[in-house]
Amino acid sequence: MSPTRKRINRLPFLQWLAIETGLIVVLSLAWYTESRLAGYSAFVGGLIYVIPNAYFAHRMYRFEGARNAHLVVGNMFRAETVKLALTAVFFAAVFILMEPVHVPALLFTFAVMVALSPLLRWFIRPQPQR
Amino acid sequence: MEMVFIAAALIIGLGALGAGIGFGLLGGKLLESTARQPELGNQLQTKAFIMAGLLDAVPMIGVGIAMYLIFVVAG
Repeated sequence: MSPTRKRINRLPFLQWLAIETGLIVVLSLAWYTESRLAGYSAFVGGLIYVIPNAYFAHRMYRFEGARNAHLVVGNMFRAETVKLALTAVFFAAVFILMEPVHVPALLFTFAVMVALSPLLRWFIRPQPQR
Repeated sequence: MEMVFIAAALIIGLGALGAGIGFGLLGGKLLESTARQPELGNQLQTKAFIMAGLLDAVPMIGVGIAMYLIFVVAG
């Protein structure tokens, strides 16, 4: 039996992306007061979090419903693996290719985004489709 | 210098171990509870999604610090 792909939840992807991007811009502007490099590094640090996280959310909600629970869990494991790998690759690419880089700004923005993301998911949850 | 690589390996390895155990428990409980109450399947999936964000916070930051150690401190 092929799994059904009927959508049950409405994913607030655009809302999440807009709020996360707004947060990155605010943090980048805050770091920009120290130096231009710090602002740029903070923006890149935020993007390193947002891109793998968007992939994770997309992959986790590929299947929905009790009938597809095994596919949901399988996709969750794969999405988490890819998310961690993408994060490592992005960090490595930034540290190798981006010269110079303001490391405190980069890591601080990344850590703030990581800490705030579950709160964002909690306050703006996927809503059941009517 | 070797100690830096050992530190990075420990950060990534222990982070991956913790995330693996946590996701195993989370996925197992999601399957269990969905089998018990199938009508709550989509709500449980949303809750698992929120918990996944909390669960992978520390390994994600660990990956960032480990990459910094490997490519900036040791590099």
